[in-house]
Amino acid sequence: MRMNKLFRSIVLVLFLLFMLVPLIATFLFSISTRWDRTILPEGFTLEWWKKVISRGAFGLTLKNSFYISFATSIALTILVTPTAYWVHIRAPKSKVIFEIMSAFSFGIPGVILALALIRFYSGIPVPLINTTNILLLACMELCFPFMYRPVANALDSIDIHTLTEASQSLGGNWISTFIHVILPNIFPGIASGFLLVFSTVFAEFTLTNLLVGARFKTFPIYLVEFTRFDGRQASALAIISFVVAWVVSLLLLLISGKRTITSDNLTIGH
Amino acid sequence: MLLLTFETCHPIIILMMEMIKSKHNKSELKKWLGFFPFLLFCLAFEFIPILFLIRGSFIDKTTQGFTIAHYQAMSRTVYINSFLNSIKISGLTAIIGVILGTLIGYAIYRWPSESLKNALISLSDVTTNFSGAPLAFSFIIILGMNGVITQFLFKYFNYELYPGFSIYSFSGLALAYVYFQLPLMVLIIIPAFVGIRKEWQESAESMGANNFQFWRFIGIPILGPSLLAGLTLLFANAYGAYATAFTLVESQLSLVTLQIGFMIAGEVRHDPGVGMAMAVLSLFIMGLSIAIYQIATTRVRRWSK
Repeated sequence: MRMNKLFRSIVLVLFLLFMLVPLIATFLFSISTRWDRTILPEGFTLEWWKKVISRGAFGLTLKNSFYISFATSIALTILVTPTAYWVHIRAPKSKVIFEIMSAFSFGIPGVILALALIRFYSGIPVPLINTTNILLLACMELCFPFMYRPVANALDSIDIHTLTEASQSLGGNWISTFIHVILPNIFPGIASGFLLVFSTVFAEFTLTNLLVGARFKTFPIYLVEFTRFDGRQASALAIISFVVAWVVSLLLLLISGKRTITSDNLTIGH
Repeated sequence: MLLLTFETCHPIIILMMEMIKSKHNKSELKKWLGFFPFLLFCLAFEFIPILFLIRGSFIDKTTQGFTIAHYQAMSRTVYINSFLNSIKISGLTAIIGVILGTLIGYAIYRWPSESLKNALISLSDVTTNFSGAPLAFSFIIILGMNGVITQFLFKYFNYELYPGFSIYSFSGLALAYVYFQLPLMVLIIIPAFVGIRKEWQESAESMGANNFQFWRFIGIPILGPSLLAGLTLLFANAYGAYATAFTLVESQLSLVTLQIGFMIAGEVRHDPGVGMAMAVLSLFIMGLSIAIYQIATTRVRRWSK
């Protein structure tokens, strides 16, 4: 089982090649004049980038994606953070409910969630079908473990009982304790959750495509449409979505300082 | 719903009993107040719609009576093929991901330079989320008909990739899936390697164990739960995937998620009950692998303390 150093280096080089070649190729493709007859691009140009950015749909879909990503992150922060605090301080035994809900959230693929929501809400007189709101709610359902996990970890790492007692002995009620004492202490956890949710929703395709389709075009939807008729401009869009994911990861790294990876905070769902 | 095995149900039953008992006790009841908005949210946008989906899969469209016809329809070739393809691609890419991911994870873990180690972990972190349309498109650029690597192989090795291989086929899609499965496995396995203490290796050596014996009796048993967790998580990850397949193979390869998607979009005329039956069977498959994953991670935590 012991691998010598040469073998380990080869493994890592191959891994790097496999992970980086698609990204580098996509980037080069987006700035090359012609690249279907030769090994290296025949020349370089910014034409495709200019073209794609100048389109009206570009700004609109980017705006839509930022809107839905921010809305989901904010809504989940408001829903999950107070609940997580409440559970930790008043009913720690029911933490298990969150664990089970998280498992459900992982276990239900986007396609099936979309099908269930469409079947159920088209049968009852609630005006949700085909609206942005149903997309927002579905994204929240899909992403809440990404919010809960970092917040719960942050709550576990501070002494919430002592903090709460101290605040209450000084006359603070539940709400003021939560806002003025607990929130500032778990802020890094909230920020991490916020960013994880943001990047997940920003790349979300399945729910958007099936729940709202062409009525509310997000960036990934626009990208898929583009791959069918203009590869150059599509590759520029692909690079933009990768850069967004990369920037969010960098921010996450900055917040958490040292990234500690456990299998708990892995994100799944493609 | 099938996630509710006895093991996961047990705490819920206890909680429910406590809730019933505490009905007469106001301060106890207040405990549940803070939970209310969140529970309501989960009920309204997950549990109830899923329950209705399960119910719908057993209901005949015209008579409104109970039927298992939708499940019987699953024996048709087109549906069997979808399930087989979905299970094959998820199983294959999960196994490849676990084996290669473990090798790569070990190589990263043993690398002396901390900064390179961290850079590789960050790379895995970003690339495992690089999926869907952008990923599918990147693979078309390098391995499509006029792709960079396709041409490279032809020019320098006079090897024609097409039509033997196609990025729009099963093997092409499998390759694209491996792209996000590999880094996910790397992220799962590195903490497990970190968990194998140097002292254990030293004490094994001092007692005369060779390398093979160390891994056979200490290393692998400790890694075991992580490997199982990785396998099941990767399987579920690929099984539920939709966006990458939608962009890459669309209707050229029949997958369960794609079929359900087509039914929602109304592109194929089928009884909606059949789509619901497919969804329920998929929930069963996903539930099974997530349940094993949960059990495996509880065992992982035992060692990481």
